[in-house]
Amino acid sequence: MILGIDTGGTNVDAVLVDDGRVAAKAKVPNDRTRESVESVLAALRDDWSTTTVDRVVVSTTVVTNAAVQDRLPRCTNALMPGPGLSPERYDFAEELAVLPGCIDHRGRLTEELEFDGAVETPVVAATAKFAARNPRLELDFQEAVDLDDSHLALGSESGADLTFPERAATTVANAKTKPVFADYHADLAAALDASGIDAPVYDLKGDGAMLAEHTMRSTPAHTLRCGAAASTLGLLALTGVTDAVCVDIGGTTTDVARVTDGFPETDRTTTQGDIDPAYAGVTSESLPLGGDIRVERGPDGPALTNRREGNAAAFGGDAPTLTDALHVTGAFEGGDVSAARTALRPVADGDVETAARAVVDRYVEAVVPVIDDIAGPDVTHAILGGVLAPYLAERLVDRSTRLDAWTVPDHADVAGAVGCAAARVSVETSVHIDSERGVMTVSSLGSEYEEDVEEGRRFTDEEVERIAVDRARAAAEAAGGDPTAACEVLSADRFNVVNNRRIAGEIVDVRARVVPGLAAGFAGEL
Amino acid sequence: MRSLALVYHEDYLLHEHTPTHPERRERLQYTMDQLEEEGLLDDPAVSFVAPSPATVEQLERVHTRDYLEELRSMSAAGEGKLSVDTHVSEHTWESARLAAGGVIEGLEAPRSDAYDTAFVMARPGGHHAFADRGHGFCFLNNTAVGLRHLQATADVDRILVWDWDAHHGDGTQSIFYDDPGVLVLSTHQSGETLFPGTGFVDEVGEGAGEGYNVNVPLPRRTGDSAYLEVVEEVFEPVTRQYDPDLLFVEAGQDNHFTDPITDLGVTASGYASLMERAVGVADEVDATLVASLAGGYAIEAGLPYTNLAVFASLLGYDTSNIREPAIYGPPPSSPGVGDVIDEVQRAHADYWDFPG
Repeated sequence: MILGIDTGGTNVDAVLVDDGRVAAKAKVPNDRTRESVESVLAALRDDWSTTTVDRVVVSTTVVTNAAVQDRLPRCTNALMPGPGLSPERYDFAEELAVLPGCIDHRGRLTEELEFDGAVETPVVAATAKFAARNPRLELDFQEAVDLDDSHLALGSESGADLTFPERAATTVANAKTKPVFADYHADLAAALDASGIDAPVYDLKGDGAMLAEHTMRSTPAHTLRCGAAASTLGLLALTGVTDAVCVDIGGTTTDVARVTDGFPETDRTTTQGDIDPAYAGVTSESLPLGGDIRVERGPDGPALTNRREGNAAAFGGDAPTLTDALHVTGAFEGGDVSAARTALRPVADGDVETAARAVVDRYVEAVVPVIDDIAGPDVTHAILGGVLAPYLAERLVDRSTRLDAWTVPDHADVAGAVGCAAARVSVETSVHIDSERGVMTVSSLGSEYEEDVEEGRRFTDEEVERIAVDRARAAAEAAGGDPTAACEVLSADRFNVVNNRRIAGEIVDVRARVVPGLAAGFAGEL
Repeated sequence: MRSLALVYHEDYLLHEHTPTHPERRERLQYTMDQLEEEGLLDDPAVSFVAPSPATVEQLERVHTRDYLEELRSMSAAGEGKLSVDTHVSEHTWESARLAAGGVIEGLEAPRSDAYDTAFVMARPGGHHAFADRGHGFCFLNNTAVGLRHLQATADVDRILVWDWDAHHGDGTQSIFYDDPGVLVLSTHQSGETLFPGTGFVDEVGEGAGEGYNVNVPLPRRTGDSAYLEVVEEVFEPVTRQYDPDLLFVEAGQDNHFTDPITDLGVTASGYASLMERAVGVADEVDATLVASLAGGYAIEAGLPYTNLAVFASLLGYDTSNIREPAIYGPPPSSPGVGDVIDEVQRAHADYWDFPG
């Protein structure tokens, strides 16, 4: 069985997926990670035996929240740029340290690192130009500085296919988010341990793929957008659609994403607060509008704020919310209707029912333009998730100029947790071969490594592709994935090295990855 | 921020003389590698612009029909030679047309308001190609094809070509020798010590073009500060007086001190200064500036850094950290160039005023 846990801003949701079906689910408020995870697991406990869990997949908003709330530690961006554009351009962190040391485009160490080990910030990011071809300067830096793994991030561990400035910005993002992520995983591990679960733990990335926890710890900035990734993947898994707009109506936000050819669309603009990693995330618009958003009295009747101040009045809170309005209109009956009416009365000009309908209209008016924009001209189907989805879906689609059909699948209320359970490992791997030097460098997530190649060796196209696919599979396996999964070659370039009018070797750059997608046998079977 | 069109095409890698020839595809590949790692290829100020092959009509503004046919058929046959070191292969005709088309594209880019400037990263080169023959690794005169296209389609009265390749651009000189609308100013290693053995001070143009061809043949090992003297004493005063609408830099990167087939002493930092001066004087006379890669055969030690220097200068970026790694330095000490400058100023005294 797969245990999916979505630790969102409002709730912690958990599902147990067994043989392609949701076997159990639970939802509890998210107060503190350890206690909330323990209580959501306790809520599942009647239905299952902890020993049957094959893997645990989690998504967390702790990194995003810490970034948005400006709670990340100060960081030194330590650069070893060698010659090139001015490193002063790269003010990605509070402190910039430009250090002597150079790796050239061939991956040769041409100037040694000079560094006394002194740093003045709690976390440090160390990035050398061309370190994807030789991590030596960064490893020398690591040796010189007195910091543990959760306070130091290296560019050569930040992932494949990044340019020097992208790698530097991404490494800063990882360095700044390592401590909060490590704390989260300590809480999670304690909760799983207390619940008797002993299974490998994976994290969902913002692009909808997952990584083994030990790999994710070196690149926690990958969690940005994972909330949107989780719910979109879940809605996809629960319906098996290939082209749709996905709308997740949560307590605090409404997230809108687009699914094309069976997988969420992604982009590389996952900026959050003052961190700007070059990682892909699900393309998603997150509106500060959800079921628990407070309603106020506005100039033209009731108006939605952008703040959550606690639960809806129908569920024991103080302030009137969209959830309360849905109680008053009779659409939703899960809570205390009279408390909802009482809370809504002060914002109503006339009768409370009219005000409640106006609140729902305000929500629909605010959300539909975003849905239509993301849907574009080709998409006509919406998949909706979240507790309120069944009560808002028809109104949203009626108002839309793009959409004409909607689905709220079973278990839409825990779509994010389902999405965690549906994820699979996908890692991009890049291989740089310099056979004149006799060196092959493999960059993926986690530590980059070198292999020897025969000096002067020349390669065929097939050999190049096989090398990349083998290394991508090995990287996927190291990150907890299936080494037999489908693999694709993303790019391949090569050229000769000529010395003294002789071809002395070849330079090869090739990238491959396990194709991202849903865990095998999950989609369409629910 | 200045916006730059980078004219480039993967097919620039197709043409090959021989796999170990100095003018080989890796010249562009190591440079693109460096630019990519620097993040310049994703820079919002830089846009890739794909060229189209120059059309027959565009080529015939410069080249004879017979020569074009000779080149085309040699390439179609898959082999041939224009000279001992200038080989024709199956891709040569298409690559050369694409390189000429690249300069056209580079000249077109700033005509739209989308770009301030352009850099053409093409090969094969062109400045040794004459109307009716080619040599020196060159087949079609890319620059001439581009400039003739511009003259035919745009309102430009005066174009100044600064050809700073280490080799004298004999083809370009011959094509514009009698055209006062294109002033060709070439700084190069003297023909006494380097191919093609031309480009002397007394070659000043002819007919209406008299005075519009300026050659500055430099001694071996001429370095950064000597080049800057030439800029101040010859290039800048001539440019200010000529007041061109367009400054076209034929950016040969083979003045670099590690270049294996030339013998000059310019560093990557020196290249940044040269282009910064070109940008400065172009701004001063309100000329558009477009540059095109010419020679440059220090594939690992020179081109990645000199091209980066030129690129960054065109963008107006801080170039103070652009240099070659320390393992290559230092450059040889430079001879003085005062005598050459005096000679050039004397030969052109009837045409241009020189300060001092």
